[in-house]
Amino acid sequence: MNIYICVGSSCHIKGSYDIIQLMKEAVETHQLEDKVNLSAAFCLGHCTDGVTVKIDEDLICGVSKDTFSDFFDNYVLARLS
Amino acid sequence: MNNLCTDIGYHSINKHGEQLCGDHIEVVERTDGSPVMVLADGLGSGVKANILSTLTAKIISTMMANHMSLEDCVTTVASTLPVCEKRGIAYSTFTIIQVVDNKTAEVIQYDNPHVILLRNGINCDYDKISMQIGEKNIYRSKIELSPGDVLVAMSDGAVYAGVGRTLNFGWQRENIIEFLEAVYESGYSSKTISTILLDQCSQLYGGLPGDDTTIAAVKIRNRQPINLMIGPPSDPQDLHKMLTLFFSKEGKHIVCGGTTSTLAAQFLGKDMITSIDYPDPEIPPISKVEGIDLVTEGVITINQVLQYAMSYLEDNAYYIKWSSKKDGASLITKLLFEEATDINFYVGRAINPAHQNPKLPINFSIKMRLVDQLADCLRKVGKRINVSYF
Repeated sequence: MNIYICVGSSCHIKGSYDIIQLMKEAVETHQLEDKVNLSAAFCLGHCTDGVTVKIDEDLICGVSKDTFSDFFDNYVLARLS
Repeated sequence: MNNLCTDIGYHSINKHGEQLCGDHIEVVERTDGSPVMVLADGLGSGVKANILSTLTAKIISTMMANHMSLEDCVTTVASTLPVCEKRGIAYSTFTIIQVVDNKTAEVIQYDNPHVILLRNGINCDYDKISMQIGEKNIYRSKIELSPGDVLVAMSDGAVYAGVGRTLNFGWQRENIIEFLEAVYESGYSSKTISTILLDQCSQLYGGLPGDDTTIAAVKIRNRQPINLMIGPPSDPQDLHKMLTLFFSKEGKHIVCGGTTSTLAAQFLGKDMITSIDYPDPEIPPISKVEGIDLVTEGVITINQVLQYAMSYLEDNAYYIKWSSKKDGASLITKLLFEEATDINFYVGRAINPAHQNPKLPINFSIKMRLVDQLADCLRKVGKRINVSYF
């Protein structure tokens, strides 16, 4: 699974750094290093009220620190299982 | 014309408790383009010293710039300066460095610690001819310079640093030479050299300088162009033209902005390799594209560069931060302020629709203003700037 986290100007301001750190931790906790490929992306054209994340070909907008664990369960864990 | 340029950088610290500096530096350009730098140190400290040194530096630099003789300059200064009531004399020491054609330095010294010449980072003695003008004993030297030569001028606050505090007799000119030889690196700009030496003086003073202290460095270096592109063109049809012009220029290439660097990578037919490493959490990570020397995010990075630039013009307090860090803003600052002598900005005026959100602190007019302000800062430190809009 390829996960791209937007680090464009707008997403950066809304917390790309935090999302990347949370993502790194979550991948480690669930021992998904072999299954998940984590990288950065420039503006994906969906600057909304949170960070945009692209999982394979799907765009998920508005990820924030508060919604991160739901997002991770619903999109990453659910898809991998 | 040769492919050289003269880089002048200086900075002062005030005597502890004083709001005004008693040292003054004036840099002017003569009609033939050669720079004249005057460092004057007024008698005493505070307002009186400030007036004496400002008058001295202004008079000498203006007269020298207009090709008047040294004798005339010195006589004018002596007869113009107000006489100190307490001491009955009018007095300000001075050092004049004039660089002709980026090749020959004329150094004139009156009562300041003697100028240090570093050649390839090693102290180099030079001849001085002593002459008498009025009652003043003035030393005059003509020095043939090569690229990499640095002349370091200072006020006596530098050699008094640490007297009775950390050192018994302050540190002498010889100690300053040893220090400069030890810290010297060929990539340092003259502002950096003066900042490093001044910081050391300030430390010896324990942060409470006993005298106004000024360091000025004059460095001869090869011209080094750097090109920076930010933003796609307002008319997408101009994209090819903009990129062709940009990449055909000599020197390193910096591309700022996600969209811009994606387009540049497509133009070069190379992949863009992004990274999730943050040397500084405040600054979006840099990417790599073969054929581009540095690829960064746009407006946040440039905004940080501007903060560093404004501090560079003042006390250069962030120097320690940007000189060693590997985030996009630090790397750009280092390239523009230390490495480059000529900078070509390629500014695209396309509006990023995603950024026109009132909730965002970034928008088009902010981006344009950032580039203008940054170009101004660079001009102030003597860089040749060329800005093209697309």
